[in-house]
Amino acid sequence: MNHRRGKGPREPAFEGRESEASRQTVRSRTPTTRRRFLASSLGGMLAAGKAPYLLTSTALGGEGRAPSSERITIGMIGLGGHGLGHNLAGFLNQPDAQILALCDPDRARVDEALKVCQKRLGDSFTCQCTQDWREVIARPDIDAVMISTPDHWHVPISVAAIRAGKDVICEKPTLTIAEGRILADTVRRYGAVFQTSTEDRSIPVYIRMAELVRNGRIGQLQRIRVQLPGGPAQPGNPQPKPVPDGLDWEMWLGPAPWAPYREGLHMAHWRWRRDYSGGNLTDWGAHQLDTAQLANNTERTGPVEVEGTGRRHETGLYDVFYEFHLVYRYANGVELYVDSGGTGLRFEGTDGWVGNKGWCQPLEASDPKILQMPIGPNELHLEVGPGEHRNFLDCVKSRRDPYFPAEVGHRCSTIAHIGNIAMELGRRLRWDPDKEEFLDDPMANQMRSRAMRHPWSI
Amino acid sequence: MFQTNGKKLVGLLLAAVMVALWGAGAPMAGAADEKLDKAFDALKTYDWGTDRSVLKPIEEAIVASHKDAAAKKKLEMRLAEALKSNVSQAAKDYICRQLSLIGSADCVPAVAELLTDEKLSHMARYALERIPDEEAVAALREALGKTSGKVKVGVINSLGVRRDAKSVEALTALLADQDGEIASAAAASLGAIGTVESAKALTEFQAKAPEKLQLAAADACLVCAERLAAAGNKAEAMALYKLLAKSEIKHVKLAATRGMLALAGKKEKPTEKQ
Repeated sequence: MNHRRGKGPREPAFEGRESEASRQTVRSRTPTTRRRFLASSLGGMLAAGKAPYLLTSTALGGEGRAPSSERITIGMIGLGGHGLGHNLAGFLNQPDAQILALCDPDRARVDEALKVCQKRLGDSFTCQCTQDWREVIARPDIDAVMISTPDHWHVPISVAAIRAGKDVICEKPTLTIAEGRILADTVRRYGAVFQTSTEDRSIPVYIRMAELVRNGRIGQLQRIRVQLPGGPAQPGNPQPKPVPDGLDWEMWLGPAPWAPYREGLHMAHWRWRRDYSGGNLTDWGAHQLDTAQLANNTERTGPVEVEGTGRRHETGLYDVFYEFHLVYRYANGVELYVDSGGTGLRFEGTDGWVGNKGWCQPLEASDPKILQMPIGPNELHLEVGPGEHRNFLDCVKSRRDPYFPAEVGHRCSTIAHIGNIAMELGRRLRWDPDKEEFLDDPMANQMRSRAMRHPWSI
Repeated sequence: MFQTNGKKLVGLLLAAVMVALWGAGAPMAGAADEKLDKAFDALKTYDWGTDRSVLKPIEEAIVASHKDAAAKKKLEMRLAEALKSNVSQAAKDYICRQLSLIGSADCVPAVAELLTDEKLSHMARYALERIPDEEAVAALREALGKTSGKVKVGVINSLGVRRDAKSVEALTALLADQDGEIASAAAASLGAIGTVESAKALTEFQAKAPEKLQLAAADACLVCAERLAAAGNKAEAMALYKLLAKSEIKHVKLAATRGMLALAGKKEKPTEKQ
């Protein structure tokens, strides 16, 4: 992530839209062993007046920290601009989150993150510092991991962590359609708590927008117009360079095809290369398309057709579409237009429109009265979340689905992926969202997945 | 007379139009062919850092060959030929990506040659995982006996992605490999294949897997159970879940319980979308 966004205001604890799976999950009745152990043993010792002298104020809470038994222990994997500046900072702000590990293939990022922790928690703070994420998920005392790596690592690390019994909050998006399906299936299989990490569901303007549409305040929804930033403006320098000291380049590449180190990738600009990302269509798409899917009530499905055009730099390093114009059609007749060139959302219905121009900007409507319309007690109410980090911690404790669960995140990323594939192939594609396959187009179907470099797999 | 002359006139006009179209089209087609030839020439010296625009005509020709089997075949054979030549790793990387889109059984021998090369094996699999023909899977299967270490792990992974039931026996033997990564990958692929035979192998493996492979064995069994259930083999799926329900690993035990409930229709059914 190379952009910083505003945060939604703190709201009362988000209840979560509990899925059938999470409502019935067996795991919900079985809290994590470490916390249960700490709670029961500390409780027992205190009750018996046998609290050991070495019990610190930190263990008991105090100074704005929750007691150990109430804390979720977290390993931070991926400490680039967003991982360090937004996600580490976000968890440090949570009284019941405890950072146990800092991990990044770039040693300098780990060192920087440790300094941030020490500045916040005191010079004596220390924790596991590593360049290999496998060492983090191997720790039995870590409850959850926050994954803020480049996109090509999102699903492999998430899946490995879930298989090791961790809960996961992972930056969006996925890299391929097939990876997204495996991730969603793995989360369901284990009943893990997984959040596709974005702040949108904690931002009132987007929730209100979707709520107005879902409750028919603009009549029958007909069209959705989504604007996303384009980029990159420059093609980047493709010349190989020596790997900087302290950077484990093999680990950075991971499952992606081998390539020499190029300066224009690590840290901030890997997003412009298809091997590691789908560009701003998938990155910013995960934000705005989520609201589009929520408002269209298609969170767990997707469009049935896509066509569009785009432009890529023909030379240089970067090969994602920096400009794109896509049209999708849903089975319910709604058309979705996705264009590069800014940030915005607009829902057009038979009786008017609502939307906004710019990230988090105020809501606008065809008629100002729409903006004031209340949502009745028997209508659909969508809740504004308390921020992605708070929502995740609450869900780890309650065992409920976070506000942007794996399946919903996967469906959202898929919209962007099929858009990229349609532009690459230069033809209209028909998509079956149930089977998650293109109709009558083997070449497009072959593009749903990519082999991973040895020894990585999911 | 007039009719005959009229027909002649129409015929002449049609002929003139066709000649005009051919005359206009030929240079265009010729220009496209020339660009394509230049692109294939450029592959000979292509390397990391080279201007990639020189290869764009190849990508354009692949997209244009969507409904032109002859053109697609011609491109495939040219790419396969180039792959066999002494071009750079970057060029072979590029060729494998293109063959992953238009490759067929005909290019498999050229691609399969790279499977044993540590630097190129991944890109060979990049193509072979996508090429739908049975020959692509057969090449992966054959590479099992020719590879070792991490390269072999990659081949095993690809056989799992392709869900190759014919490799169950070979993968079962690899469960006993001293290299934990190989044994773990074999278990995962057997799970992904999800046949009754692979379930049998995994059941035995689950019972005796060393501690460091217990999670891998359990996950493979869970995946296998879902695939069995999706294929209608509910009894075999339930047997795997019951086995895992005895696991001492808490989240595995819970996953098995979830699976049993799903199988009994008391929760969401396992989906099969891969």
